[in-house]
Amino acid sequence: MGWKRKNDDVDGEDGFGGGGGGDKEKAAAAAASSASAETKEKREILPSTIKNKERRSAVHAKLKQQKTLEKRKKLKARDAAEKRALELGEEPPPKSIPRTIENTREFDETVCRPDDEEVPLSTFATSADDYLRDLFAGNDCDEFSSVLKREHTPKILITTCRFNSTRGPAFISELLEVIPNSQYYKRGTYDLKKIVEYANHKEFTSVVVVHTNRREPDALLIIGLPDGPTAHFKLSKLVLRKDIKNHGNPTGHEPELVLTNFTTRLGHRIGRLIQSLFPQEPNFRGRRVVTFHNQRDFIFFRHHRYIFDSKESKHTDSKDKKTKNDKGEKVTQEKVIARLQECGPRFTLKLVSLQHGTFDTKGGEYEWVHKPEMDTSRRRFFL
Amino acid sequence: MPRTTTVESPGCPPFRALTFDVLGLVKVVEARGKQGGVPKVVERWGEPESRNCVLAACIDDRKRDPMLAVARKCGKIELLNPLNGDTRVVISDASDTKPEDDPVIGLHLFRRERTEERSRSCTLLSCTTKGNAVMRSFEVMDSPEDSVSNSTTNKWNVCAAGSVLCCKVDGSENYAMVGGKGVELNIWDLDKCSKMWTAKSPLKNNLGIFTPTWFTSATFLCKEDHRKVVAGTNSHQVRLYDISAQRRPVLSFDFRETPIKAVTEDIDGYTVYVGNGSGDLASFDMRTGKLLGCFLGKCSGSIRYISRHPDFPVIASCGLDSYLRLWDVKSRQLLSAVFLKQHLNSVLFDPGFADEEPVQHTRDMPENEAQRQRVDEAQFVDEEGTLPVKRKKKKKTHKEGRDHKTPAKENNGIDKLNRKKKIKKAKTLAGNDNAL
Repeated sequence: MGWKRKNDDVDGEDGFGGGGGGDKEKAAAAAASSASAETKEKREILPSTIKNKERRSAVHAKLKQQKTLEKRKKLKARDAAEKRALELGEEPPPKSIPRTIENTREFDETVCRPDDEEVPLSTFATSADDYLRDLFAGNDCDEFSSVLKREHTPKILITTCRFNSTRGPAFISELLEVIPNSQYYKRGTYDLKKIVEYANHKEFTSVVVVHTNRREPDALLIIGLPDGPTAHFKLSKLVLRKDIKNHGNPTGHEPELVLTNFTTRLGHRIGRLIQSLFPQEPNFRGRRVVTFHNQRDFIFFRHHRYIFDSKESKHTDSKDKKTKNDKGEKVTQEKVIARLQECGPRFTLKLVSLQHGTFDTKGGEYEWVHKPEMDTSRRRFFL
Repeated sequence: MPRTTTVESPGCPPFRALTFDVLGLVKVVEARGKQGGVPKVVERWGEPESRNCVLAACIDDRKRDPMLAVARKCGKIELLNPLNGDTRVVISDASDTKPEDDPVIGLHLFRRERTEERSRSCTLLSCTTKGNAVMRSFEVMDSPEDSVSNSTTNKWNVCAAGSVLCCKVDGSENYAMVGGKGVELNIWDLDKCSKMWTAKSPLKNNLGIFTPTWFTSATFLCKEDHRKVVAGTNSHQVRLYDISAQRRPVLSFDFRETPIKAVTEDIDGYTVYVGNGSGDLASFDMRTGKLLGCFLGKCSGSIRYISRHPDFPVIASCGLDSYLRLWDVKSRQLLSAVFLKQHLNSVLFDPGFADEEPVQHTRDMPENEAQRQRVDEAQFVDEEGTLPVKRKKKKKTHKEGRDHKTPAKENNGIDKLNRKKKIKKAKTLAGNDNAL
């Protein structure tokens, strides 16, 4: 406000000077002083408080340019420091880690740590799976342990909501290719509870329900059987295989499963629920990977084929070799390159609720429900 | 800047709580310090195993020889010492059915002696899902092998069909209440083991829809009165039954959308705390059926058990989100939350714990014995009625002073005595202030 008042004063004085024509010296001095004051205060005052548009945009542009210049200078200085350090053979200055929402996430005591006191880590786990299993005593006796300990092979029933058309069936046909040992059953008009009962009888280990709304799959329900939890996910950003450029076609081998960033107790539980959908012995010949990547509570699903290509390295290298090796005419150095090819659907899941027991909307107990009062911070994540 | 929300914990009064979880662990959570103690897990009893899942627990807080009864999934009922977790007695059901098929749903340890002849005997009522109620009394010896269950077991069946989901014993310990899925609320006379009263299901609603009976939790409204019963149903309804009035509910209202999973009464005799399947906790005034307020605290998992602290205005809730949460009753603020890693099935306060603090307090105070007594008296007075009594005292002293001013000239000896009295009174007043 102070600035504005000054500005007005200056305007008035200018007008007065122009009108009167006398006292030019005084006016000039006043203008100069006001200008210096202005430059001082311009930095402090937000351009958004200026009401005159031209002036505001000018000030804003100036500020912005200054900022970019400063930034450039900073970058240059950093690069120079790094270069100098390299030349001198010193340790380069540590790279600063950008602050993201994830690495400044709110402290969560439910994040599982390996030094969890609930489980003494006396026995060193051999594989990652064993490690995970040993991590918590609770995991050892949860609903999925019989599948994950390979006592049962997973058998999945896939069904839909009552009305199902266009993208729904296409998605399901791709899901059937992704999840081995899964069967599609027409929903018909059966209650979901009846279907769960039936699946229990037929010794299925999980039921997956794809819910479509307006011919677009929008929700996924994973029910662990016989008494496992029920997870309700929102499904979004579905891209089917035929819409993916340069997609590959998956083989019938058992896929490898990659679950990343499931850190909290709830995350582990969801991870184990997903893990129990897939067979525990991947067939590495198939070179198929199914990825569930958790980032900021969104679970990204991707399905890839990979291949290790051996590429002959460049000729110059082999020449060098030749000079070193006496016999080395035939020696060509081989470089191994991993190549990825995406296949199968691509979608994103977001957990809505996790229910204790099988599907029961009326009498169900929830282990976790998303409530609006939890959304008071952007840096709070649950998985 | 990152806005981090920390749990503003105003601190808890000193308490000791025992939590029971799905893996059969018993964890002791304690908060110490007068103002703003932070509750911590102090002890952990038992080994994690899903077979040992605690289904029901009950504490008997008598001064000598307190007891904690724990019913486990494998069919065992264990009696522990709530102070150090030693197993005193293990009772295992030698029934033909598998214990997993017929889990214990309600457990009650009688506080008063039902058999008066022996001081160390305990009486235990257990009720299973299929309605097999058993009353056992047994003697507790020092080692678990020695203590033998007496032959005074009393078995009866509380329901023919359906499954029992809640079973509670009232404050006088003469009556028990049973309800469940397909089981109307029953009240049993424990002396005769006979049914006293049965509820009637409410009428069809205006659409002609009849909701089947499915009680999920119930409690007696106040300790002395066994006639008023509050029950929560699966169709998210809270009902008040009055035995002396009618068989249909006197009052019923809905609470949110998910089934009521826990109902606990307050000691004032009309407030009820209700927790449901999606983690909402609220208090209701049962005289009017009005919602007093909700307890908000980002609680996301079903609430399995609520318990009220016997002395402080604090309730504890626990459930599937594996947090033990402590709430202030008046302000309905979250005092503190303790993460306990497993799904919790129940939480109990140990009322004996609070004794420690005041004892220390009195011990610290004076050296002189007479003075201490006075201070105690003064404290007592303060507790009874605070301000008016004090004022009276002051006035009295003034009057006495005036009265004694005139005769003071005449008699020196009396004056001296009075002075002494004054000094004493001043001391007592000072003590009074200290006590305040």
